[in-house]
Amino acid sequence: MLDFMENVQNSFYEASHWNVDNSYGALNATARALLDFQTPKGLRLQISSLAAPNFATSYTLGSVGVVDGSVSYLYSSLPLRRKLKSSELELKHVIRGYRHLQDLRRPDDDWWWEIWHAGKRIDRRDTLLYGRIFLPHSTLEALYLRRLTPTRQLKITAVSDSALNNGGSILALLQNDFGKYSTEYMYSTDSGLLGVRGLYNFGTDPRVDPMAPVTAQDIAEPVHGRFSAGAELYYGLLNKSGGISTGLRFTTLPKHTGFPYTMTLTLNPLMGNLSSTYAVKAGSNLALCSRFDFNFYSYESELQLGCELWRRRRNTDVEWAVKKLRPDWKTPTVTPDDDVSGILKARVDQDWRIGVLWEGRIKELLFTLGASVDLRKREQIFRAVGIELQYSS
Amino acid sequence: MAFNFNWSPLIADTSRARDMLTTALNKGPKPPIIVDDIIVTELNLGSAPPELEILEIGDLAEDRFRGIFKMSYTGDAFLTLKTKVQANPLNTYLSAKPSFASPQPLAAASGLTIPLQITLSDIRLSGFVILVFSKQKGITLVFRNDPLESLKVSSTFDSIPFVRDYLQKEIEGQLRVLFMEDLPAIIHRLSLRLWSSEYQEMETEQRLDNSVDTVAPIDPLASPPQDAVDAFGNPLDSSQIDALSLDPTSEIHASFSQKNILRLAALSESQRTLSLFTPGIRDVVFRAWANHDRPESGTSTPGLTHSSLSRIQSTFASVKSNTSSVASGSTGNETHASRPSLVSQYSSSAGLSLGAGRGRGGPMRKRKKRVVNLRKDRDGAESSGISTGTNTPLPSTNVSETASVIPEDKEHEGELTTPPKSPVKAGLRFESRHGSLDVGEPSRLPEAEGLLPAAPLLADPPKLPKSKQRARIPSTVIEEPEKEKRASSARPPLSSRRMHSTQQVTSPLLRSLSFDRISTLSSSSKNPLSPPYSESTSSSGGILEQAWMLKMAQEIARKVQEEKEREASRDREESTHHPQPQSSKAPVRSGGIWAEDEIDAPPAYRA
Repeated sequence: MLDFMENVQNSFYEASHWNVDNSYGALNATARALLDFQTPKGLRLQISSLAAPNFATSYTLGSVGVVDGSVSYLYSSLPLRRKLKSSELELKHVIRGYRHLQDLRRPDDDWWWEIWHAGKRIDRRDTLLYGRIFLPHSTLEALYLRRLTPTRQLKITAVSDSALNNGGSILALLQNDFGKYSTEYMYSTDSGLLGVRGLYNFGTDPRVDPMAPVTAQDIAEPVHGRFSAGAELYYGLLNKSGGISTGLRFTTLPKHTGFPYTMTLTLNPLMGNLSSTYAVKAGSNLALCSRFDFNFYSYESELQLGCELWRRRRNTDVEWAVKKLRPDWKTPTVTPDDDVSGILKARVDQDWRIGVLWEGRIKELLFTLGASVDLRKREQIFRAVGIELQYSS
Repeated sequence: MAFNFNWSPLIADTSRARDMLTTALNKGPKPPIIVDDIIVTELNLGSAPPELEILEIGDLAEDRFRGIFKMSYTGDAFLTLKTKVQANPLNTYLSAKPSFASPQPLAAASGLTIPLQITLSDIRLSGFVILVFSKQKGITLVFRNDPLESLKVSSTFDSIPFVRDYLQKEIEGQLRVLFMEDLPAIIHRLSLRLWSSEYQEMETEQRLDNSVDTVAPIDPLASPPQDAVDAFGNPLDSSQIDALSLDPTSEIHASFSQKNILRLAALSESQRTLSLFTPGIRDVVFRAWANHDRPESGTSTPGLTHSSLSRIQSTFASVKSNTSSVASGSTGNETHASRPSLVSQYSSSAGLSLGAGRGRGGPMRKRKKRVVNLRKDRDGAESSGISTGTNTPLPSTNVSETASVIPEDKEHEGELTTPPKSPVKAGLRFESRHGSLDVGEPSRLPEAEGLLPAAPLLADPPKLPKSKQRARIPSTVIEEPEKEKRASSARPPLSSRRMHSTQQVTSPLLRSLSFDRISTLSSSSKNPLSPPYSESTSSSGGILEQAWMLKMAQEIARKVQEEKEREASRDREESTHHPQPQSSKAPVRSGGIWAEDEIDAPPAYRA
């Protein structure tokens, strides 16, 4: 389940019309959400609040052997309108699962952002500031996010920790999203790492004038899916080492009439690593995912399977009657996802390492129960068990 | 004197050592580049044994040993490790960084694990080793300095110079840690398995249960902190540890003959009064001379005294050394007990004998003398060392002690050529030493070793030879661990031990020496000791007990003879290894000595 602050940042992206999914880094976001989810350890409590549309605070208290915690603050120049109260928020915003990609959106024109007042331009760039300090480790995380232009965003993250080399590191990330393609440039002070990422979407260009005449072919063969290709390249200036990878993705779009699915293939030619994922949303409540890794240098392979299941309460007494008599009725819910009793996520790999997550909402509390199990090690089957509770107002 | 190390059996089975190395290598956190367990696939100790030079022997008994060696190794041992390393630098680099500021690459950080095989060979070692052996606590081996001089690392990546250099550097660093920290623990565990049946059972059970990773319990006493090792005074720490040992065997006092105890009492009294008179005690080396360690650790002495009081063992010696000559009457008793151990050292090594001679001189001097200087002996040959001891009983002792403490003479006096059994033998020696302590003996003993003419004072030839024989016995002791144990635990066994020792004496030289000494010692010791004897007897036990002990001693003596005959062949072989001329004498006299011992034993108890 997403942290409150992550949820706030996502709402900032949403409010500033930034497409998080159109990035090479998010190429296999679906597979990662279904297979690489983190299981909580120990007990964690989080109390957070969006005190004002522009200001959010969050406090966490954790207990994994020792008691620790964190305090975080967030400021956004852009008023955030998304519902963030734990009793009202939509679960799909905080639970990462199958990402159903939408049609690409044409980026805003620059002049859309211009605000003129009395002959002067008074519009300002949207900015987000975020800071979090962990106690008692005295680790500080900071984030500076600025929408430079409708197609450009600057993100600077920094970590200060005495345990790190040089006391911390800073990562600067410049992202461009033109819809049809996106590029990213990054620099990390840690070992002077330079990086470039790019993603190209085949198919129609969203920037083309939407008023262009629709051809007969478009109607006959509507675009059901999108094919994307990308690559990334890293080079460490100080340690003279680098990395490279390329990736492909095909995903269905909402126009697709069948069940949605996503396929990705990533290749690391330097290390000989080939990874393919296939995720399918088999129903409104079920998503399945598989991933196969193969290294053609070491011949090592790995297989992972995962699923996500939304369990909904049903009023069995009258539901059958409603279905028969009034199939068009929508079940009246006071709050969104009120009928969701919980979301089950599970993954297993070929070594019988199992991760299970049970998330949901009870009253006004968001909870996450998780355990990771290793069936190979009989003496210590449960590697980690934990529970997280969140409350936000 | 010399030890005979039998290297070949060590080479035979290295599976356990491999297992322990594997666990030791995997216990700590590994750098992120190593993604799998480090497995020791091959361990070969090679055919060339390390060269050991005895610098000091701080404690020597049938079941205990403490010494400092200079070790140098240039053999052909090799070690092969197998593990997997992460070949993607981006992966290892990111794994150590916080995710918040990480670039979070999509697939560029995907791992590539490469099996890595590393072979370590051409190992060159040189360093000072402190070895503490106790039958119950096993072997504790500590390097005083960094022993690793050089080694050759060959791996899968030898063709890549950068990787090769990196591995060479890293592995050298790791090995230094291994030698300084892990190896002592491994050796200790191995030794426990070898000697402690309980521990073996425990381990087997653990293995059955866990089958894989069993962390053997480490006896905190067995592995002294390295700091202690650094200073010369530190050897004292080890001696303290010995004193603190939980072993019942340490309580050798039970095995002391009352006669000797009486003599020791007399000796201690004479020390208090600063009188130059020293009662002759058979087979005795003065502990004060021999035990440098204990005297050095002045702070530790109080604790030592407690233990010593209870056990009457070597700890006494330490107490004496620490305390001034004014030691209380109770301490005097303790000193008696401690002296026996000195005697044992005597028999074991020429250097020890020197120390004993010093012990005679003054009580104060005696305190410092625990450590035997093997170096000196080697310098002037064994004979020279002996002569010094005889010549300068009191003053020389102090000097010799200090000298022993300081590694001035690194000459290889006592190259260790003894078979692996030697430690056990040492323990046996201790017991024998306990039995008879003669003031005059220390000097005599060195003489004997050096082949110098025995002092005329020695009146009890049989006992002295026994002690010497015991020293040589080590090899035999191993063979007869059970008997030894019995002797150590019970008083009667002490006498038996002596017998054993005499029987066991492998080297003819020692025997011959012992004869000479015995004659001199017996003459001198008996006269002065007589009064103290009565006291000691009363303290030790009733008349009945004495009688019983005598009987037991005789029986044991018989058994020992039998064993002795068996072992005689072995002993001869061992003796042949030793270049000493006396060896020829030994076989002839051994039988005679043995007979004498039996005869003598009863009178000793009576006295």
